[in-house]
Amino acid sequence: MPAARLRGVSSIIETRGLVMQFPSTRALDSLDVVIPSGVTGLVGANGAGKTTLISLVLGLLTPTAGSISVLGLDPHERGPELRAQIGFGPERNVFPDDLRAYDFVRHLAEVKGLPRDEARSRASDSLYLVGLGEERFRALGTMSTGQRQRVKLAQAIAADPRLIVLDEPTDGLDPVQRDEMLNIIVQVNRNFGIDVMLSSHVLEEVERVCDHVVALAEGKLVAQGSMAELAGASGGIEIELVEIDDRPTSIGDVAAQLAAAGAGVRRNGTMLSVVGLGDDELFDLAARSVAQSGARLRRLGPHRRTLDDIFADDGPGGAS
Amino acid sequence: MNVPERGDAQIVERGFQRYEGRRSGVPGAIRSVSWESIRATLGLGRPARNKIFPVISVVIAYLPAVVFIGVAVLIPGDILEPEEVADYPGYYGFIILAIVLFTALVAPEVLVSDRRNGMLAMYLSTPLDRRTYLVAKAVAVAAMLGLVTLLPPVLMLIGYSVENSGPDGLGGWMLTLGRIVLSGIAISAALAAVSMAASSLTDRKAFAAIGIVLLLFATPILAAALVEGADLSPYWRLIDISTMPFELVFRIFGDPGNFPELATWAVLASNLAWTLGGTAVVWRRYSTLVIAR
Repeated sequence: MPAARLRGVSSIIETRGLVMQFPSTRALDSLDVVIPSGVTGLVGANGAGKTTLISLVLGLLTPTAGSISVLGLDPHERGPELRAQIGFGPERNVFPDDLRAYDFVRHLAEVKGLPRDEARSRASDSLYLVGLGEERFRALGTMSTGQRQRVKLAQAIAADPRLIVLDEPTDGLDPVQRDEMLNIIVQVNRNFGIDVMLSSHVLEEVERVCDHVVALAEGKLVAQGSMAELAGASGGIEIELVEIDDRPTSIGDVAAQLAAAGAGVRRNGTMLSVVGLGDDELFDLAARSVAQSGARLRRLGPHRRTLDDIFADDGPGGAS
Repeated sequence: MNVPERGDAQIVERGFQRYEGRRSGVPGAIRSVSWESIRATLGLGRPARNKIFPVISVVIAYLPAVVFIGVAVLIPGDILEPEEVADYPGYYGFIILAIVLFTALVAPEVLVSDRRNGMLAMYLSTPLDRRTYLVAKAVAVAAMLGLVTLLPPVLMLIGYSVENSGPDGLGGWMLTLGRIVLSGIAISAALAAVSMAASSLTDRKAFAAIGIVLLLFATPILAAALVEGADLSPYWRLIDISTMPFELVFRIFGDPGNFPELATWAVLASNLAWTLGGTAVVWRRYSTLVIAR
């Protein structure tokens, strides 16, 4: 495959009207998605269609209708050629127990087309990169869940793919291991220019590491775009106040003053979300209201929409 | 204090880098998967317990050849001709246990393991697809069976030839070698297809191995019962997967074999039917297999 041609494509994955119908269920329904270079999060609950989309990206399923293009190629028509350029980390955590991590990574690098000597050196390099350099000759069956997740990432990158697709790469990890894994994934993208698509049902980690996001629910597209567009500033401000015993009405007073000035106010405990006026005007108004009511301010800032908000607002049964 | 001069030596930390070189594509993937399957079956790069059965099978397969060559060396040719020790088609009768062991061991290890340990899903995310994956596995199984069906007779041929007891002339030698190779391929193809078919139907290696052994023992019993017990046509012997590959070997060597009442084309057809039938079962199973990722 001419690498120059691949590098020229503007999007790494593009689908149009993509439908995947299984006998009893429609896993994907008229999906139009454009995924650019970078780290992209594929989010959604179990059964949202994430794994089906990954299988279509890898050319392992034939779409019922619509089209899909990955790295400028049709996965169904040119699957072997395409898969040589993709590293895949499956969700399943089952591997040959007797096999050493190094042999596992080396073998899969060879299957992806690397010469034997190159596969050997790159297996070691990849395992060092994911922090398993000293453990690389241990049998997979003796490794912890966190180490196995790293081995999966190492084998995905060993053959130097253009794109790696990781299905729930932090599944089964504790918070520290999760942070380390996410840092490595970001490092792979930033330092080596390998595009990443990772699926996850943990929205927080997608918000943390992804440049772009594709949100699915029940096989349908809920939202897509850059994290800045989707989960960034969305207009309005947030005011977090502290409850004070001798001024129990202070938070309510602030809300009332803001509403009286024409702002839309939504109270959630000690948090006020305020919209409806210009942001500068809202900040001034909030500062005056807090001062006049004698309330104690913990945080005042622009409202940031989270992926939770996206699913709440745009998902099935959402507000919009 | 002397300060060493700066030389040309450098400390190079290679680290992870981009790869711009050549990729071997699907043929390289098939080669790699076949070789790794052979390594796994022989227990290479695995703990010692994985080597026990392969070593036993290989010893059983090669020991008679070594003994026959030894006899040919120690006993003068005018007293005992090599053909009186063992002819090439008859050699398989001595190593049938090794062949059965290998047949029952190899395909389950090669096919069932991948479905159980997640490697099948990994392989199908590489340039391989289901068809080329099965080609790689079939090459591995046939090559492993060739280890016990092809190489021991070749070893015998070389041993006899070194002792001047081999075929006459280069033409005769090449003809014998060709017949040995053809025989090894015929046996390996039929048994590989049957054992892969059995291994494609279950996710437990032990069940697959038992199924293969039962098939190898049951079909000759059934064939004998039909022909000798029920007095049916001798052509019912063609259902016997344990015997027909070896019967074909006799015909390849121009020998009427153990069942001269069967036409050679029928023996050949039986072997082809087992080979193609086994292949069809494997393909049907894998083309509809749902693979967990």
